[in-house]
Amino acid sequence: MQVSSKEKFWLTAPITFFLLVMLGFPLLLDLIYSVSEVTFENLLAPRLQGFENYFETLQDPTYWDALAFSLKFGLTASLVQLFLALFLAIYLEPLLARHPWLMAVLMAPMMVAPALIGLMYRLILHEFVGVIPYYLWEWVGDSPAFLGTENAFLTVVTIEILQWTPFALLILYTAYRSIPSHLREAARMDGANSLQLLMLVELPYMMPVILLTFFIRFIDSFRVFDNIYVLVGSGAGGTSTSLSIYIYKAFFRGGNIGQAVAASVLLFLAALLLIALLERFSRRMETT
Amino acid sequence: MKKMSTKLGLVLLVSLFAVKSLWAQVTVLGWPGGPEETALRKAVEVYNAGPGKSDGSVNLIFFNRDGFWDKLQADLAAGTTEFDINLTATYAVGRYAPFMQPLSLPSAAMDVFGDKVLKTMQFEGEQYGVPTDLSLHFMYYRNDLIDKLLSDADWQKIYGEISQKYLGKTLAPKNPDTWNWEDYAATALFFTKSVNSASPTRYGTVLQMKNLLFNMMIWHSTARSHGGEWLDANGNVMVDSWAFRQGLQLYKTLFDAGASPKDSTSYEYAEANAAFGSGQAATMLQWNAAFGSLNNPEENPAVAGKIGTVAPPAGPAGRVTHIHGLGLGLNKNSKNKDAAIKFLNWLSGADAMETYALSGGSPAMAKSITDKISGDRPDLIKLGDFAGNYGFVMNGGTSASALQIYTLQAEQFTGYWSGTKSLDEALQATSKGMADLLK
Repeated sequence: MQVSSKEKFWLTAPITFFLLVMLGFPLLLDLIYSVSEVTFENLLAPRLQGFENYFETLQDPTYWDALAFSLKFGLTASLVQLFLALFLAIYLEPLLARHPWLMAVLMAPMMVAPALIGLMYRLILHEFVGVIPYYLWEWVGDSPAFLGTENAFLTVVTIEILQWTPFALLILYTAYRSIPSHLREAARMDGANSLQLLMLVELPYMMPVILLTFFIRFIDSFRVFDNIYVLVGSGAGGTSTSLSIYIYKAFFRGGNIGQAVAASVLLFLAALLLIALLERFSRRMETT
Repeated sequence: MKKMSTKLGLVLLVSLFAVKSLWAQVTVLGWPGGPEETALRKAVEVYNAGPGKSDGSVNLIFFNRDGFWDKLQADLAAGTTEFDINLTATYAVGRYAPFMQPLSLPSAAMDVFGDKVLKTMQFEGEQYGVPTDLSLHFMYYRNDLIDKLLSDADWQKIYGEISQKYLGKTLAPKNPDTWNWEDYAATALFFTKSVNSASPTRYGTVLQMKNLLFNMMIWHSTARSHGGEWLDANGNVMVDSWAFRQGLQLYKTLFDAGASPKDSTSYEYAEANAAFGSGQAATMLQWNAAFGSLNNPEENPAVAGKIGTVAPPAGPAGRVTHIHGLGLGLNKNSKNKDAAIKFLNWLSGADAMETYALSGGSPAMAKSITDKISGDRPDLIKLGDFAGNYGFVMNGGTSASALQIYTLQAEQFTGYWSGTKSLDEALQATSKGMADLLK
């Protein structure tokens, strides 16, 4: 049955309207605020001033520090999650195939809100009430300062990895299970050993999904806010200020609404660029 | 007949709306989850059963504590009419003043609170709130440990050696009520296991060094007691001073010597209470509100009944404690201003504040009122005394930029304490940032 263009219009109208209202309007407002002098006192009547907020943001060293932190955090967390999940997907595949319900158990950390995860670890890692420092003091007579400045990055990255590796595992396990069995059989008949099978058949087959998983996890980790903010705030001297925390602080604590919105628009543009690259890459993978 | 009943129905409906508008309901946005909420609920209950019957009843709403001020800021800026009365605080009164309406409290309010306490809710000479709760700091210490230190000759000998090694002078232990900052530092070092292996506690003190604006309020007592001030009389920033350096170096010395827990740079109110409550810390500079919980044997069996509290140690410029008030003020966009003002006027009276205090609130009231309830709330006498004798608000501490200034200082000073910035860098960046904020 042929769908007419009029029918197409009416069928897509509700979602188009929803997107325009829920995303389009805030985006338009953000664009106006980002080129305006705006505070909490003149929210409804911002004064247009050009691109000064963008210049100020780009000249602010704390913006670049926050960007560097987010990049470092995003890359470290997403890469470790990727390799760990890939290893688990392959290593646990026989077990998970026999007991699929185990996957639900492994998914449990994902079901907890990141802010609650932060709160939970704030308790677990506290020297006097936390279970981990308690046993370290009992067994070795000392405990590291998990949330001290020198260890804070490692701690928050580890917590991010523990919470979100299951997400990567779910995708990669599904991809691993979807490899056609005839490919493996053919490779075996050609004399491939297990390592060759993995490196030359399975991983290349899974590569588009592996890269997609990496990008999804990178974007998610890059915009981290909740668990870091609950655990260590913006860190001593601002050492754990992610880009999201920078925007939040500039907006609410600093009252620099224009600058905060300009920083968020820059982040939005960077995300658009990344998505465009991802789409281009996906198309190229499809054609090869 | 049908027409008649329709008309009657309409009349009834209109009458209901008319009565509702005459008998306005005031909505108050309060501070959630603590003794302030319990006290406010009781006060409102009393009001609704009495004056509220004719002046309009009061309804309470609460946000979550996390991000409370940010949510309030956004709501007020959006011109909300969802609440008529909202919470305000000394450090935020200047920020919220554009969205609030000044009050003219009855003259009796001066007799209840006194000028110094009323000023915690003032901005540019206008009164923006009824000061319902006062916060300040106590120096908490372990009675049992200090008693032994003051009577044990062996401990006193070690105390003298430690103070000589770390502070460059041989000190003798003193009663905490006569401490200066050196005495506090020497005591903290003495009760630190890594400094004194015979110490019965792991740490000598608990410092709250998280990058958080409230932690600056606690620390400010050190700088102020050395003569430190945010702004001089002409409004010039004066934080890059000897006084601020002394205060900052004191924290750094104690932290670097291991006298405070290793992850103190992530500590705020709750973490510090947990550390002190474990019995593994000998002293702590902390908000007055912590006393009830710390001294409760069910919550903190290791230290309950063994806690002493005094005002913070003295510096060359005297003995001081930061004070700030929480209070309730009028939303500029309120639709029920008359009824809201009636409630606020009632709340500023002696009877209302007595009810509020007996239900767990911490108002700083005149001695004549506090004496009446001292049997139930002995801590309020100390609160009133300390506020009157030692209380201070930094010059600029109620300005529109106060919250940003606290935040800026928290970022810079925690950088120095954690070793990511030098003292000069931190103070210069703070001075410049404050000058920009106060332009």
